Amino acid sequence: MTVKYKTIKEIKKMISQKEISHKEIIQDVYKLVKENANLNAFITLNEEKSLKKAEDFDNNRSDCSLAGIPIAQKDLFCTKGLRTTCGSKILDNFIPPYTATVIENLENAGCISIGKTNMDEFAMGSSNETSYFGNVHNPWGDNLVPGGSSGGSASAIAAGIVPAASGTDTGGSIRQPASLCGITGIKPTYGRVSRWGMIAFASSLDQAGPMARTAEDCALLLNEMCSHDIKDTTSLDNEIPNFEDNLNNSLKGKKIGVVKDLDLSSLDKGVIEIYENSLKEFVSMGAELVDVSLPNLALSVPTYYVVAPAECSSNLSRFDGVKFGRRSKNPKNLEELYVQTRSEGFGDEVKRRILIGSYVLSAGYYDAYYKKAQQVRRLIKQDFDEAFLNVDVIMTPTTRGPAFDIGSKGSDPIQMYLEDLFTISANLAGLPAMSLPNGNIDNKPIGLQIIGNFLDESSVLNFGHMYQTKTNWHMFSPEGVIQ
Amino acid sequence: MDKKTVTTISYLSRLKIDPEKEEKITSDLENIIKFVDQLNDAETSDIEPLTNPLEKTAKTRTDQVTAKNLKKELLEIGPSSNEDYFLVPRVVE
Repeated sequence: MTVKYKTIKEIKKMISQKEISHKEIIQDVYKLVKENANLNAFITLNEEKSLKKAEDFDNNRSDCSLAGIPIAQKDLFCTKGLRTTCGSKILDNFIPPYTATVIENLENAGCISIGKTNMDEFAMGSSNETSYFGNVHNPWGDNLVPGGSSGGSASAIAAGIVPAASGTDTGGSIRQPASLCGITGIKPTYGRVSRWGMIAFASSLDQAGPMARTAEDCALLLNEMCSHDIKDTTSLDNEIPNFEDNLNNSLKGKKIGVVKDLDLSSLDKGVIEIYENSLKEFVSMGAELVDVSLPNLALSVPTYYVVAPAECSSNLSRFDGVKFGRRSKNPKNLEELYVQTRSEGFGDEVKRRILIGSYVLSAGYYDAYYKKAQQVRRLIKQDFDEAFLNVDVIMTPTTRGPAFDIGSKGSDPIQMYLEDLFTISANLAGLPAMSLPNGNIDNKPIGLQIIGNFLDESSVLNFGHMYQTKTNWHMFSPEGVIQ
Repeated sequence: MDKKTVTTISYLSRLKIDPEKEEKITSDLENIIKFVDQLNDAETSDIEPLTNPLEKTAKTRTDQVTAKNLKKELLEIGPSSNEDYFLVPRVVE
C-alpha cells in the first residue's frame, strides 16, 4: 500500500476505509522522499514531528477536514522551530519563533507538514536555478528545470511524493512550475490568503496558494488556507465560499474570454494546438468563446520588472545581519557589517533585482519608472475590469513552452523574465488564476491558465474541475498514466 | 547605466559588487532598463498610479497587545546578542 501519486481525495478515502494508518502514510512519504533525493526538492525535512503527529491521529481519530494529509511547505513560509531559508544563504541558519498564518490554518485542518521545499532564492526566478541549495530537478526529464519559484513544491507533487504543497506566486511562481511539472496550482485573489509569516518579496503582488494534482484538491486546500487575518492589513474580510461545494456546476452558457491581442508568435507551436484543443473541450461542455481585448498585456512584463524590484529592494533591506540570519565574520564597523553580510548572503539574481529597485526608486528616476509602471499597472487592471463585464473567465496558455534544460536560458536575465509573459498580469491586477495540465509536448507536460474575476476563485476551480472530469491530462505522471 | 551609476545604486543597496562581475552586472542592468523603457509607449497622462490591487487604505485595529513577549527567543536567534540587546560593532568611538 502506497500513497505515491494519490490525490488528497484518494488518501482521505484510504484512511476512512482503514486501508492504511496515518503512520504508514507518513512513513511511505519519507520513503518516497528518499527514493527521489536526486530531485533536490526539499531543503529541510520534519520527519520526527510528522511521525509523532501521525501517531496522534492513529490514537485519536480526528474530524478535521485534512486530518493526516501530508503536505510539503514552500521554504518561504515561517515555521516555528523548523528552519526556513527562502532558498538563500543569508537565512541558511534561520529558525523562526513563529508560524505563518496560512501554514497554521493548514495544520489546524490536520495537514502534516513533512518538510520545506526548495525554491528560487527569495522566490526570484522561473527555473529554480537561483536557489543557494542547488537546482531542483523536474521528474519529467533528467536535465529539466521544474520552473520556479515554487519548483520544489511542484517537483515533489509531480514525482508523487506528496499529494499537495503550498506555493507562493508573485509573477507566476505557482502557475509556471505547475505547468512545467504537469500539476494543478492556483494563485488566489490578492488578499484572500494571509501574508503574515510569508517572507515578503513584492508585497503588492505576493500571494500564497495551493498546489496539488487536481482542481478538486486545490479547492479542499483553499478552503482551509483562506482566512481574514488582522495581522495582515491587506487580508480581505469578504465572505469565503466553500470552494468544494461550488464544483460540478454546469458550464452551459458560461463565457470564456479568448484574448485576441495575444502575441502567439513566440510560442512553441504545440502549445497553440493544445490550447485550442482545450478551448474546444470547453465548447463541447456548453461554454461559449468570446473575444476579449487586453491591449496593455504586452506591457505586463516591463511593468512587473519595475514594480517587483522596487518592492523587493525595500523588503530585503531587513536582511542586514543584525537581528537574524547569517552575519559576515569580523566586520570592521557597522557599515561593513551590513555590506559584507548582504554581499556574501545574496545570490546574483537577488542582487540584480535589489539594484534595479534602488535605481527605479532613486531621486530623478522615480517618476520615469516607478510612477509610470504604476500607471501602466492601472491600465492593465482596467483592461481586465472591462473584459470581465462580458466573460466568466479568461483562458491563455500558462507558459510559452514545456520545461527547458537546466542552463539553457543562458546568462541573459530578460530571456528568463519572459517566461512569465502570460502569468504576470494576474498578479498586477490581483486576480485569481490557475494552471492545470492540458497536454504533453515530447512527453513533457504543459498547462492551461484560467484567470478569474476578483474574488471568483469558485469559477476558476469549477472550470478546472469540469475539464478534469472530461480529460485525463492530470492523470499523467513521468511513469505514464496513473491507474 | 554607467559605472558611476552602478557604484551609486550599489551603495544605496548596501551591496558590494565583485570587481570581476562589475561589467556583466552593468550590462545586465542596462539591458533591463532598456527593456522596461517600453513603458514609455503607453499613454498615461491622466492615469492615477495603482499601488495595490485592493486600493484600500490600510485597516486600523484596536491598540491592544495580542503578541506574546518573545524577547528571549528573538534575542537567541540573533547572530550576536546579550540578555537585553542585539550586539553590533561599536558605532561611537
